[in-house]
Amino acid sequence: MTLPATLRAPLLCLILPASAVLWAWPEGLPPWRGLAIITAWTGTGLLLASLLLMLRQPRLAEHLGGLSNSYRWHHLSGTLAYISLLLHPLALAADGFTEDPRTAWLALAPWALGWPENLGWLALLLLMGGLAGSFGPPLAYRPWRAVHFLLGAGVVLGLAHVWALLGNASGVLLALFVCLFSLGWRLLADDRGWGAAPYRVSSVRACARDSIEATLTPCSRALPARPGQFVLAAFGDGGHFHGSKEFHPFTLSEVGDNGQLRMAIKALGHCTRHLQALEPGVLVRLAGPFGEAAQTLPDGRPRLWIAGGIGITPFMALLRQETSGPPTDLLHVFRRAEEAPFLDELESLARQRPELNYLPRATGDGPAPLADMLAPLDSLEERSVYLCGPPGLVDLARRLLLARGVNALRIHHDSFDFRGS
Amino acid sequence: MKTLYRLSTLLFWLAVGGFAAAPQWLPEPLSQTPPSRATGTQPRLTPAEMARHNREGDCWVSIDQQVYDLTLYTPTHPADPAVILAWCGKEASTAYHTKNAGRPHSPYADRLLPRYRLGPLQP
Repeated sequence: MTLPATLRAPLLCLILPASAVLWAWPEGLPPWRGLAIITAWTGTGLLLASLLLMLRQPRLAEHLGGLSNSYRWHHLSGTLAYISLLLHPLALAADGFTEDPRTAWLALAPWALGWPENLGWLALLLLMGGLAGSFGPPLAYRPWRAVHFLLGAGVVLGLAHVWALLGNASGVLLALFVCLFSLGWRLLADDRGWGAAPYRVSSVRACARDSIEATLTPCSRALPARPGQFVLAAFGDGGHFHGSKEFHPFTLSEVGDNGQLRMAIKALGHCTRHLQALEPGVLVRLAGPFGEAAQTLPDGRPRLWIAGGIGITPFMALLRQETSGPPTDLLHVFRRAEEAPFLDELESLARQRPELNYLPRATGDGPAPLADMLAPLDSLEERSVYLCGPPGLVDLARRLLLARGVNALRIHHDSFDFRGS
Repeated sequence: MKTLYRLSTLLFWLAVGGFAAAPQWLPEPLSQTPPSRATGTQPRLTPAEMARHNREGDCWVSIDQQVYDLTLYTPTHPADPAVILAWCGKEASTAYHTKNAGRPHSPYADRLLPRYRLGPLQP
């Protein structure tokens, strides 16, 4: 019996802290002191799981049920690790409290502790500050990224704290190795793009107002991408264009037979607005492909696709590749028709393909009328559902579909919330 | 998760604040220095007597001319208890003050130590 891929990430989040706690299991200690050790190693194990789950390696991501699933558990295990580590000094203080209040305070007061213990304090404050970047007021990408680096520093200092107290214990060295390996891989292979494939922009066209579609031609090897997937792309320089060279996710709008890829880019933020000036000749490095949602759709079952704005992109790639398919209702909501990518092409496809029921709806500045759009559709519970759009739209669609009796396991979507905010 | 982060952080600092305030609000123990565990029936705390308590389960050490019974403390030591067990029955002042790594114990550790004091080392 094979374990479903989506369960492997939570299993990792269970096995690592459990192993760490068993290795360091406190025997014969007072209860609060024992709790301090258990919370410390639970937090350490969860942090290591969180580090492993942040790696953006396509095969690893596929093994763990997709990058979206990995990141969901990366965020959850990191948050639970933080809470567990908050309990560690409090449990030590509670242990001192059984003697007298002053002893309890001396277990916390930085000026009463040695530097190994204060390394632990510093690590905890870095974790607190790093998470504030995700859970505090919204930050622009670059400030958020700088603040997020505090988390990596916090993990390293936390393990240094353990190493200073316990010495060269095998478990500590193993944890340090996993930590440094994960951070090194992320910084060098993922962020620097050592394993990324070079492509070159061969053409750029406007596909709606504030949206472009770029065609990318491989310079050497082509990524084994499939329609519905996304890649992490770092745009470089070329012509008059100067890219940020940072990796951001973009969904493919077409996967060509000759390795060519197309991606649609809507001006939604600083980076994507700058990309509206993209020119042919620009070098792009691509990592991936990622995205499991479209790959898990069962064949033959009637389909219900719901897209919001630029979220139409994966459906475009799927429709462009297949010549026929099962009955498909495609609900596409957008603010204004001139801002809707591929509107003309989709209407043309719907005229040519009787199985495709394309239902576009301009919403203006109002809410998406999804309930009204779903009302005339019957037998929803028999459909396989694929959602792509802003989180608010996806949440609304999911609620409405569940209320209409659709099995949650048949509702698929890839989340692009890599920041966990 | 945002709520979880904010709530746990708030509760953490409230608890830290509580531990900081507790010594001001709760009564101090009657004596700042825990009483010696020496009793009338205790053997003389000579180097020879101390040397007899040289193993796990019966571990005395002398630090700065004071004898301590670390038998009960050893399992709770943050580092491997073996680092203490190596000094059972011996004079361990240097080991205590340097942790064999050139760094002293924390004031917190200094405050814990008197709890285990048996009395002054006798000639």
